[in-house]
Amino acid sequence: MNELKTINKDKLHQLFDKLIADGNDVIAPKRKSEKVFFGKIISSSDICYDYIQTAFSAKSSVFPKCEELFSYEKNDNEIKHLDPVFSDKTTIVFGSRPCDSASFDYLKVFFLKENPDFHFAKRYDSTLLISMTCNKSDEHCFCTSVGISPSDTKGSDVSLTDLENGEFLAEIISDKGKKFVADYSSFFENKGDISQKSNKNAKVDIKFDLDKLKTKIKGSFDWDTWDKQSLACLGCGACAFACPTCTCFDIQDEASPKSGSRIRIWDTCALSLFTLHASGHNPRENQAGRWRNRVLHKFEYTDTKFDMVSCVGCGRCIKTCPASMNIINQVISIMEA
Amino acid sequence: MDNIAKNINQLIADGSVDIFIGYVKGNDNRAKAAFFNISDKVDNAIFDASCTQNLAVYLHKHEIKSFAKIGIFANYSTLRAIIQLANENQIKAEKYIIQTMNKDSQIITFANLTEVESYVQANRPAPAAAMIQKLDSLSKMDRDERWEFWSKELASCIKCYACRSACPMCYCSQCTTDCNQPQWIGVPAHGQGNFEWHIMRAMHLAGRCVACGECQRVCPMEIPLGLLNARLNIDIATNFGETAGMTLGADYALSSYKVDDKEHFIR
Repeated sequence: MNELKTINKDKLHQLFDKLIADGNDVIAPKRKSEKVFFGKIISSSDICYDYIQTAFSAKSSVFPKCEELFSYEKNDNEIKHLDPVFSDKTTIVFGSRPCDSASFDYLKVFFLKENPDFHFAKRYDSTLLISMTCNKSDEHCFCTSVGISPSDTKGSDVSLTDLENGEFLAEIISDKGKKFVADYSSFFENKGDISQKSNKNAKVDIKFDLDKLKTKIKGSFDWDTWDKQSLACLGCGACAFACPTCTCFDIQDEASPKSGSRIRIWDTCALSLFTLHASGHNPRENQAGRWRNRVLHKFEYTDTKFDMVSCVGCGRCIKTCPASMNIINQVISIMEA
Repeated sequence: MDNIAKNINQLIADGSVDIFIGYVKGNDNRAKAAFFNISDKVDNAIFDASCTQNLAVYLHKHEIKSFAKIGIFANYSTLRAIIQLANENQIKAEKYIIQTMNKDSQIITFANLTEVESYVQANRPAPAAAMIQKLDSLSKMDRDERWEFWSKELASCIKCYACRSACPMCYCSQCTTDCNQPQWIGVPAHGQGNFEWHIMRAMHLAGRCVACGECQRVCPMEIPLGLLNARLNIDIATNFGETAGMTLGADYALSSYKVDDKEHFIR
């Protein structure tokens, strides 16, 4: 049983403003025009609460779209190697949905399990996830089909539920969360009733049977389903970049005669360049092969490798796709194939 | 929509087309490209205001090109892109059956590209007021303000290349941005890399952009990319009297020359 507290909206905002004043980064949902994105807020008044799902996930707080791995400077005969400087402050991510928070459990396995990634570890250790359970969902949500729920707390440090009366129920999940709440205990109240949560949380219908899919998808490699499904795919990276669990990256060196840096950037299997060999040969020569890789990676490859399906059912790929591809319908058609 | 389905079924049945590209209902209130006779049911065919995607983008897709006879149900900007693609020798008109639906919901089958040309000239919509207004406000800014506007907008670019992928005129088999020997533009999605990419994209489309607005519609970060192209379209029209995708056989401004072209700008 998780420790329970409550915090009212005014106190929560005072807490964020204090955190910002103390030099911490607070990342929260902000509206741009039609869409809501996670972004660094300057004041608690920047926060947007009117969203079912942010357009992009919170993964950029631990895995930025572009980050320097190291740099160097050259003077006469001396070469100076420089590691990136990480802030000793905390990055607070506020308002991630349960699917997003669950994705952090996958990111942790991907980046830290076999060959711990120094840069990810630095960012992950200084990030605190204050998630918000879902009181609303839409037709693109399918977290319950991949073993997550709108009330889930996994991956979160503190999980809030909007009680819709100006108060949030706070479940304190991790040690990081416990320390944070203890440090700022004056903002929280020592009460809370877990039964209030289930009345508020959205219901998300199960859209497909994951176990059946996992069985069916094995041996699907040569199916013509992939050719049919991928005809509309334009081969951009919008789905992968919006995805909370897509972790592929590319390394680029940028150099001038006097200095240079090595930069890690997001990459995606949807682009033809992703698998292009120096010889000119491309083992995934058409979009069908690339699309198949995306689906199999999510539902077969990581399941085999890490015993984890790497889709959290957030529905962002569906909302973002310029060509209106729909993973739910496509998974269903794989099961019917 | 029965008559659309009937029409497509007819073309498939009599062997006029091997694949017919049209629209079906997609996610949210959007339409999705459909590939009848291959992956979609003809009964689901639609053609309405939600059908905004420029389907001409699929005509240069490797998987589609391999079909011998291709039918396409084109919206207005798709028709313009078809003209421009023909002008750039990217498509052979004989291979296609091109159709659209006019304002009276009648299906029009174009006998040739000259008929497509007449149709796009007769039905050109007025430019969107919001776009004109935004362009106006941008041109009233001084250079520093404009720089700040674009720095802020382009900072959010993630280099997903949806703008390139959705553009019917981006058909290069190797994009300059994918070139690494030599590397012309910065690949990372940082300030400089993003500026280089979007300026290159806009310049490469100057005089070729058919103003469908796909780049802006598909941008997952809501960057108003269409403004760059719209500005250049105006400049090209003013200086060279040309509008892409409106005239069959037209040269495009930035890749053709005449010996008596003015050279006063060379100093």
